[in-house]
Amino acid sequence: MNAAVAPFVESMRNAALASLPGSGIGWLDAARREAMHAFVSAGLPNSRNELWKYTALRALERRSYAAHDDAAATPAVDQGAFALPSITGPRLVFVNGAFRANLSALDGLPQGLSLRPLSRVLPENPEPLRFALLARQDREPRDAFAALNLALASDGVVLHVTEGAHIDEPVHIVHLGAAARHDIAWNTRNLVELGEGARLRLIEHHATAGEHAHLSNLVSDFVLRKGAELDLVLLQDAAFGGSLLRYSQLRMHEDARVALHALELGAALSRHELHVSLDGDRARAETNGAFALRGRQHADTELLIEHRGRDTASNSLWRGVADGRARGVFHGAITVHPGADGADAKLSNKNLLLSPDAEIDTRPALEIHADEVKAAHGATVGQLDERALFYLRSRGIGAEPARMLLVRAFCALALAGVQPPALREHCDALLLAHLPRGEEA
Amino acid sequence: MPSPASGEGERTHKGVRACAMPRGLLAGFSLNFGGQMMLKIDNLHVRVAGREILKGVSLEVNAGEVHAIMGPNGAGKSTLGNVLAGRAGYEVMQGSISYDGKNLLEMDPEARAAAGVFLAFQYPVEIPGVNNTYFLRAALNGQRKARGEPELDSREFLTLVREKLKVMQLSPELLNRAVNEGFSGGEKKRNEIFQMAVLEPRLAILDETDSGLDIDALKQVAEGVNALRAPQRAFVMITHYQRLLDYVIPDFVHVLADGRIVESGGAELAQELEAHGYAWVRDRKPVEAAA
Amino acid sequence: MATESRDLEALLNRRYSAGFVTDIETDSLPAGLNEDTVRAISLRKREPEWMTQWRLDAYRHWLTMTPPHWAKLNIAPIDFQAISYYAAPKQGPKSLAEVDPKLLETYEKLGVPLHERAKLAGVAVDAVFDSVSVGTTFRKELADAGVIFCSMSEAIREHPQLVKQYLGSVVPQRDNYFAALNSAVFSDGSFVFIPRGVRCPMELSTYFRINAGHTGQFERTLIIAEDGASVSYLEGCTAPMRDENQLHAAVVELVALERANIKYSTVQNWYPGDENGKGGIYNFVTKRGDCRGDDSRISWTQVETGSAITWKYPSCILRGDRSVGEFNSVALTHHRQQADTGTKMIHIGRDTRSKIVSKGISAGHGQNTYRGLVKVEKNAANARNHTQCDSLLIGKKCGAHTFPYMEVKNPSAIVEHEATTSKISDDQLFYCRSRGVGEEDAVSMIVDGFCKQVFRELPMEFAVEAKKLLEVSLEGAIG
Repeated sequence: MNAAVAPFVESMRNAALASLPGSGIGWLDAARREAMHAFVSAGLPNSRNELWKYTALRALERRSYAAHDDAAATPAVDQGAFALPSITGPRLVFVNGAFRANLSALDGLPQGLSLRPLSRVLPENPEPLRFALLARQDREPRDAFAALNLALASDGVVLHVTEGAHIDEPVHIVHLGAAARHDIAWNTRNLVELGEGARLRLIEHHATAGEHAHLSNLVSDFVLRKGAELDLVLLQDAAFGGSLLRYSQLRMHEDARVALHALELGAALSRHELHVSLDGDRARAETNGAFALRGRQHADTELLIEHRGRDTASNSLWRGVADGRARGVFHGAITVHPGADGADAKLSNKNLLLSPDAEIDTRPALEIHADEVKAAHGATVGQLDERALFYLRSRGIGAEPARMLLVRAFCALALAGVQPPALREHCDALLLAHLPRGEEA
Repeated sequence: MPSPASGEGERTHKGVRACAMPRGLLAGFSLNFGGQMMLKIDNLHVRVAGREILKGVSLEVNAGEVHAIMGPNGAGKSTLGNVLAGRAGYEVMQGSISYDGKNLLEMDPEARAAAGVFLAFQYPVEIPGVNNTYFLRAALNGQRKARGEPELDSREFLTLVREKLKVMQLSPELLNRAVNEGFSGGEKKRNEIFQMAVLEPRLAILDETDSGLDIDALKQVAEGVNALRAPQRAFVMITHYQRLLDYVIPDFVHVLADGRIVESGGAELAQELEAHGYAWVRDRKPVEAAA
Repeated sequence: MATESRDLEALLNRRYSAGFVTDIETDSLPAGLNEDTVRAISLRKREPEWMTQWRLDAYRHWLTMTPPHWAKLNIAPIDFQAISYYAAPKQGPKSLAEVDPKLLETYEKLGVPLHERAKLAGVAVDAVFDSVSVGTTFRKELADAGVIFCSMSEAIREHPQLVKQYLGSVVPQRDNYFAALNSAVFSDGSFVFIPRGVRCPMELSTYFRINAGHTGQFERTLIIAEDGASVSYLEGCTAPMRDENQLHAAVVELVALERANIKYSTVQNWYPGDENGKGGIYNFVTKRGDCRGDDSRISWTQVETGSAITWKYPSCILRGDRSVGEFNSVALTHHRQQADTGTKMIHIGRDTRSKIVSKGISAGHGQNTYRGLVKVEKNAANARNHTQCDSLLIGKKCGAHTFPYMEVKNPSAIVEHEATTSKISDDQLFYCRSRGVGEEDAVSMIVDGFCKQVFRELPMEFAVEAKKLLEVSLEGAIG
């Protein structure tokens, strides 16, 4: 596209493909080379791309990152950096994009659960992953970051729950950024599959140890077979200086269910493109999320829900708060495809703008190609209800604490379904700590 | 006075014991009003979504009579009302319904309305943006036109509506709202009776019009019905509870259970049901079936 | 009833009653577009040199532009060289008395009598036939009130200062592809000027008619309401049934100064093409109002039932403090019609308010898209917006889409959007029918109820017309 290759693209192009796990496997090497070529020739998306309309990458384009650094991948990390209350089950930890066995907990996995890092599975037994790794690239139009991820993914989660297995203990996946000499970039690829009738609780947790400005680019595929149920918590508490780009896809077969809760708190630049495809009849998705931003943070959630099967249902509730010079972006698009009769789709997005320099851009969208459909969406941008604020103050609560109370209540609705309760309380506390002037509350 | 549908029943001091299916039931006592046979349901079998709900219902209604159809939830009461009004999705497998000697099942819903059949809906439908008065006038004139009667102009119509409003003790403000939109449960039900008063049907079917009403609203509805009782008009009241029948005294009470009429009698049957519950009729059903 | 949806389809088989052609001698330019075409149009209209240059500037810029990307529209590329850019009845009228009787007859057939005897009571009409205005009624009454209501050609000659000051001040020549094209080749349109403090004594109306084949219509309308002035303006449009697609690329500019109030209503019934999508008007229109003064108000109301493709976003720039913008829309697409319409509300001044009500009805293979932007700029303290978008689907093959954009940069703003999608429910139909209302009447009653909020905003006479238009669209009823 452009004659001069941007520094960002240049720094990625220089990554040593040969040092990636699984290097030497013919189909994988070919796919990686091809993907790198696609990435370099496409360049980064710009605002003419509707899905990137409000997230400009000009600043990112000018930056360069070190691609792989053994020293960066093995800093000493304290468990406290990612511990979550009452979460003591299976755990997989990645530090600066690399699997860390000593921080993980993979012994005595429950029956029916298979959980391994991609960096180990690929060299040992790549064939079963071939389809999963390459398939999405064929289904979706290529996005520069998806291509980059395919080219350079060096690790990630490979998780499988066998048919009918119910995994009750939440599985904790930690993506931790740790301070290093250089700003580094890593690509993570996660493959999660739930067999027929399987159940899983999963926490995708982005955390930080020390301040840094790394870039992490994740692509996650979730496949829920017939009747499978997934409870997914996405807790994003990454470093304030970091950049985090995520693309997640959930493919849901008949009668599959997902309950998703996302909390976006960290990162200077955070973008999550979340595709939920209700392919099978009666598949249902409940997606909820909240972001709280301050400083110069920029967070963009692109939620794309597609109803394809009959009698599918989706219900989405998202809340956003922006303070300081922050910018919050939400796009919630519901598509009901021809033949998806009986679809029931609801989406609500509400936002609070707390500062004269903050900005909220929201786009709920409906695209309906069937007539036996119930679809509704609503979005608002506003500020705290002055009457409620006055009411609290007249009962003796100070102005700032009252404000905090209301902001917190505003977001809490989106997190009300987080399980277990101790995790919900933890999310609530994190949220409170991130709110502007939250410490006074 | 027309004789009962058949002579197979046996009269008791308490009412009329139902007879063997499918020839129907005994339609009751000889009262000093009444008239011609209006509705005749014969051995009606109806399927909804592939499931048989009515399994051989027979019923005869003469002009001037008030019939109450009672029964436990899921007995098929509302199905009967909907079939009479011609709602889609109700598949008649067997049997017939004649109304004034014509085959009712062949008529479109609007043709039935024009012929004087009125269903007060259990759940009246909201139609956003469509003014109540406008709707009612379109309905009345649609019916009049179909009957070859002159349509009412807006002045005549308004006069009629005001008069009926007074009888129903409804607020005129209701007229300017959209059909049923934002109405309370009680308002919706009263609006149904008000429509009935304006449209003056010959056969009115009231589907659980009493449910969800407080006592004052119930009385108002009952008064509305009583005011419309007339020798040329018949009522079929579908209800779960007996309390509406304290205010609108029926000539006949039928008990519908599991898709069949299992018991018929006079007004006192309702009290008996109230005292003993539906288990009482359910218990005796096998006996009847055997008979 | 399994037949219900089929009946509904049949019910929608509309008849287009304005599809006749008037047999009249036409003076038209040959097809094709170059600088000479632009000069020829300007010359035919006896325009001053500055206007010719203005057009040429626009044309030269247009050459550098690329056609817009059609997000949700399915459209074949347009051959701009195959279109004739000017067509006018040969017998040019000087006054209404001299108008060719065939023309008068045409407008009479359309329900817009222009004779002094039969004029619409209380409504002044400017009739535009192909590329030129053929007559304006009530001229004297308007002149007495100080109102200028004339064709754009006349305004350029008679009121050059006003035209120079305001033309292109809301929609610049280079605004977008079709606005640039219009600026180069616009033929006629209406000009309205309401001086300070004047309430226009009657409704103003322009009736646009495309008659000639292979022509495009590029009208330009400019309405200026000075301080404290107010006006209500309505446009109606029809075209004959032709197998070809004809291009209509209009530009409408509204300027509201302090406390001024402009109400602009459109009943658009261009030929929509047949049920297979053959023929019909491409309706690509740029309409924008500038609430330039404090406390000004601009309200757009549109009923869009015609055209093969409609692409328009009547917008308001709320510059003045406390200014108010409104957009009320009913858009019906049937057969292969496509509509991509909506609005932009740009809040710049303090305490500005906007309200959007959009009702889309899709039937047959029709595709109906609402696309809207509500933007609250940094200094637009206390801005308020409420948007409501409802879609009604009739049949399985149509589509209804809602794409609102909300960009908010002021923390005291409140912006609210809600949207629903539904179909005419079997319950509603059955309820009406069980009360004796026939199916056809029931459908039009329900659709009318669905549109009520918008019809309320139309001037009385036109609300009736709009309702009838929808009824015609829903006519043909049950098989």
